[in-house]
Amino acid sequence: MSDYKSVQVSKGRGGWGGPLTITPSTDRPLIASITGGGIHPVAQKIADMTGGEAFDGFSSSAPFDKIAVAVIDCGGTARVGVYPMKKVKTVDVHATSPAGPLAQFITEDLFVSGVKPEDVQEA
Amino acid sequence: MTATDTATVYESAVTQVGGQVEAFLGHGLLIFFAANAPGELHDISVLHQASIAEDGPRPGDTIHVGDTSLEVLAVGDVVRDNLINLGHLDLKADGRTEPKLPGDVSVRVGDLPLLNVGDTFKITRPADQTKEQKT
Repeated sequence: MSDYKSVQVSKGRGGWGGPLTITPSTDRPLIASITGGGIHPVAQKIADMTGGEAFDGFSSSAPFDKIAVAVIDCGGTARVGVYPMKKVKTVDVHATSPAGPLAQFITEDLFVSGVKPEDVQEA
Repeated sequence: MTATDTATVYESAVTQVGGQVEAFLGHGLLIFFAANAPGELHDISVLHQASIAEDGPRPGDTIHVGDTSLEVLAVGDVVRDNLINLGHLDLKADGRTEPKLPGDVSVRVGDLPLLNVGDTFKITRPADQTKEQKT
């Protein structure tokens, strides 16, 4: 099935970057939740609205090049940089701004932060 | 009370050291993730397998990385969740007493060690402070 829809993800209170338009595809169907405690509600909502497939990056492994968006709960240093560095759209549920050794890769077209489920809207 | 009168709140063994870890040491940064972290994080991380995961660090605790002992100066708001849920910790030798970022654990300015497979990563707490953990 390739009947995917798009969502727009906007920064939340105190957040930075975006908005990002997320559209899964047959090549990149996965909504990766790289977070603690299973699939984060923000990742689940993006998956539900787009038709993408939510998965928990810490309990199952998936090919990195299948990821449409990475949802992270990063405290500001590591994950905020790794996914944008690899040109993967990145949604941080914490309100972080570019920082850390990979800050140069964190750009508004790849990264948005402070995101709550209500910041995910139909595009 | 003696210096050995401490409780271990976290203890883990290093299973892999990523190729970019040494470069990050130059930034005064050491990143940990649990061994089951997604592959794209392995390059930047020290991967480890915890045997004790009771709590995250608090100011005044000591973090032991290999043979180096570091007093914890500051701890960000999301550090405990990161460590308990994901085995994740960002150790920064920035000397701050207030964390700059919510994921930061700050220790004194200075070199951080390059860890090796089999080394221990451990957090200890003065024993007289282990009873006051109510939040």
